[in-house]
Amino acid sequence: MLTLRIIPKLEVKNENLIKGIHLEGLRIVGKPEAAALKYAQDGADELIYIDLVASLYQRQNWIDIVKRTAEQIYIPLTVGGGIRSVEDVKIFMRAGADKVTINTAVVKNPRLITAISQKFGCQAMVASIEVQKKFDGSYEVFTDSGRTPTGIEPIAWAKKVVTLGAGEILLTFIHQDGTYAGYDVALLKQITQAVPVPVIVSGGAGTIEHLIAAYKAGADALAIASLLHFNKINVKTIKQKLKAKKIPVRI
Amino acid sequence: MKIALIDYGAGNLFSVERALKFAGADYYLATRPEQILKAGKLVLPGVGAFSDCMNGLKKNKLDAAIKQAVAKKTPILGICLGMQLLMTVGQEFGTHQGLDLIAGAVNKIKTSSKLPQIGWNDIKIKQPQSPILKGIKSGDYFYFVHSFVARPENQAVIAAITDYGGDEFCSVVSYNHIYGTQFHPEKSGPAGLKIYQNFVRQVRPAAGS
Amino acid sequence: MEHSSKITDKKSTIHFDTNGICDACRWAEMKNNTVDWKRREKELKELLDKHRSKDCSYDVLVPGSGGKDSTFAAHILKYKYGMHPLTVTWAPHIYTEVGWRNLQHWIHSGFDNYLFHPNGQVHRQLTQLAFLNLLHPFQPFIFGQKNFAPLMAVKFKIPLVFFGENEAEYGNKIENNFSPLRQWPQIKTKDLYFGGIHISQLPKYGITKADLEPYLFPKQEDLNRVGVQIRYLGYYLKWIPQEMYYYAAKNAGFEANPYGRTEGTYSKYNSLDDRIDGFHYYTTYIKFGLGRASYDAAQEIRSGHLTREEGIALVKRYDGEFPQRWFKEILDYMMITEKQFWQAVDRNRPPHLWQKKNGKWQLKHAVWME
Repeated sequence: MLTLRIIPKLEVKNENLIKGIHLEGLRIVGKPEAAALKYAQDGADELIYIDLVASLYQRQNWIDIVKRTAEQIYIPLTVGGGIRSVEDVKIFMRAGADKVTINTAVVKNPRLITAISQKFGCQAMVASIEVQKKFDGSYEVFTDSGRTPTGIEPIAWAKKVVTLGAGEILLTFIHQDGTYAGYDVALLKQITQAVPVPVIVSGGAGTIEHLIAAYKAGADALAIASLLHFNKINVKTIKQKLKAKKIPVRI
Repeated sequence: MKIALIDYGAGNLFSVERALKFAGADYYLATRPEQILKAGKLVLPGVGAFSDCMNGLKKNKLDAAIKQAVAKKTPILGICLGMQLLMTVGQEFGTHQGLDLIAGAVNKIKTSSKLPQIGWNDIKIKQPQSPILKGIKSGDYFYFVHSFVARPENQAVIAAITDYGGDEFCSVVSYNHIYGTQFHPEKSGPAGLKIYQNFVRQVRPAAGS
Repeated sequence: MEHSSKITDKKSTIHFDTNGICDACRWAEMKNNTVDWKRREKELKELLDKHRSKDCSYDVLVPGSGGKDSTFAAHILKYKYGMHPLTVTWAPHIYTEVGWRNLQHWIHSGFDNYLFHPNGQVHRQLTQLAFLNLLHPFQPFIFGQKNFAPLMAVKFKIPLVFFGENEAEYGNKIENNFSPLRQWPQIKTKDLYFGGIHISQLPKYGITKADLEPYLFPKQEDLNRVGVQIRYLGYYLKWIPQEMYYYAAKNAGFEANPYGRTEGTYSKYNSLDDRIDGFHYYTTYIKFGLGRASYDAAQEIRSGHLTREEGIALVKRYDGEFPQRWFKEILDYMMITEKQFWQAVDRNRPPHLWQKKNGKWQLKHAVWME
């Protein structure tokens, strides 16, 4: 049967693997290619590479890292950060990416989703949705790596991106990111029930219980960063523990 | 004896090429019929929609060349949509002719689960002797990305099956020198690389090539 | 310095050495290469050993708001160095929700706290005067922020007071980085100015000398009696703002700006408490041509988190962005109209920095114009 995917998420700036909290901060934790290879060898199901501040600086210059990583791994690689056009997608696909994930550019121009999915297939177009929880309990979509509020409500947006052609959704909880406090399971459940495509969830994983809760809330894949980058646990152990709790994983 | 990787504009060949390199294949990209006809083996990748891919093949008369080569017993490995193209018809957005190298249709996965199926799923082997499956066992996982599946008329061609959301479909075909995988072996880690190695080393090329 | 600011004063600017390197950069380099942090930490430990209370009474005073710096300072003094801090907070003009929450996070990470609000009417009046006369709406807050701590130290008889970072991190005289002690010029009452108005004229605005007590630096004899020393933790421990953010987030649940990036900059973890913060930075942009993004980027460049090119791109994109979110509220708070606001802004634009082109005000020089 189809397994729950464990996807290490690597945020990259210049030559470095970085990790923030609430999508803020540029603390260097290592080198991305070395980490990517290690995760692949440990049994990661896919990898996600994000140039976290590309849209902020309005530049895109890390194709080499993508290329070098893609040359060494034989699992799917998703790439995101500052992708703004079909031309950009072509460049990353040629560098070895299998899927792209886009947030800022598709909020500004939703028809980009359709253009990309028509050209490369809907499975290649992962709509990235970054969500902040506000003090009144409501949620809002943000762009520019958690910096610019949009006024858009995430569930409605998730439905929209799917009708426009997105084949998957990458849902990131800004308020949980980097905190190890768990995913926002309430919102996750609403989103997985609202859309007919796989949902990859990200932001807040701290314990195996959190991962199980996400699976039960309908997540198809878990994107994990802090937990792995800071060596609190490795991919192999995560899968073994999940398997022990009868969650279907690929071992 | 060289392998022709058919390049007809349907998606990225980067990963397939790397996997072939890993398997030690001596390969070249084939865009013209004569390149297909002189190959010792063929790899047919594919991504996107059935009809678009068929149109892409027809444009440069590659479809006729493939049929001709296979008639001469040139082994062929179809990957993902490439496997679907081997069938008689595809039923995505209307009915379209396939290469008709294996009798059967291509239609949607019958399930209420999310589509496309994206992720790792396991196979149950039906033809353990097939050279394409050497070293692979039931329960091994491969990476799938698709909403449609091939339904061969002749059950005997089915080398492995996979269950998604209650629909048990053909995930590997093996019929004489015709092979296909619904999953992407170049994205399936070590198990997937074994498929490529098998096609390169285990599958015998056509006599006299 | 604040207490003697008159309308006609010129700001003393940052010092550049003969190679054109400013003091902040020279200090940043020393921080990473020359300073013996082991020795300085040893000094800190010895100092703290001398002050640590044996009966668990307060032995150190940490002023702050629950921002990343004060959260770090109090937390590390208590949990790493075994002290018993009392935290004190001079309230923001108007709390933001995240500012209030971070104050709570701070308290709930294990601290007693006194929160002081100055007389609301007085505070608003002083803010109005400071804005209209000096284009410096933050001045009343700065008085409190600097003076409340030593005042409370005298009241509670706690000699040791720790501020976080030295202003010399940002460009005050580099010599200040070589002493842990805060220096204060003693100004006589008759020389005091508030909001650009001499103390003798303030009763015209309904502000008596008694009203000004909370804004005044304590008397020297009181400070001497208790033995108050005001020190910078940034002298003893290497101060990297981004690291303070991570520490505060991890250890106290410090929350970054829930609105995303703060208006006028790209960052999410600096100066979040006060709805007037944005106007403080906007007015510095008008007066000095440097906005919030410039300050943040400069600090991150010195700390090695950004390259100069990245900093310039960010400054170009965000510097001088108008803090629209609480504009109406701040106008009400300062009891002025929008027209008065812009008149004050425009009469304080230094002509050597600003020019009008096609009816719009523009900086004559900006770092991204190079």
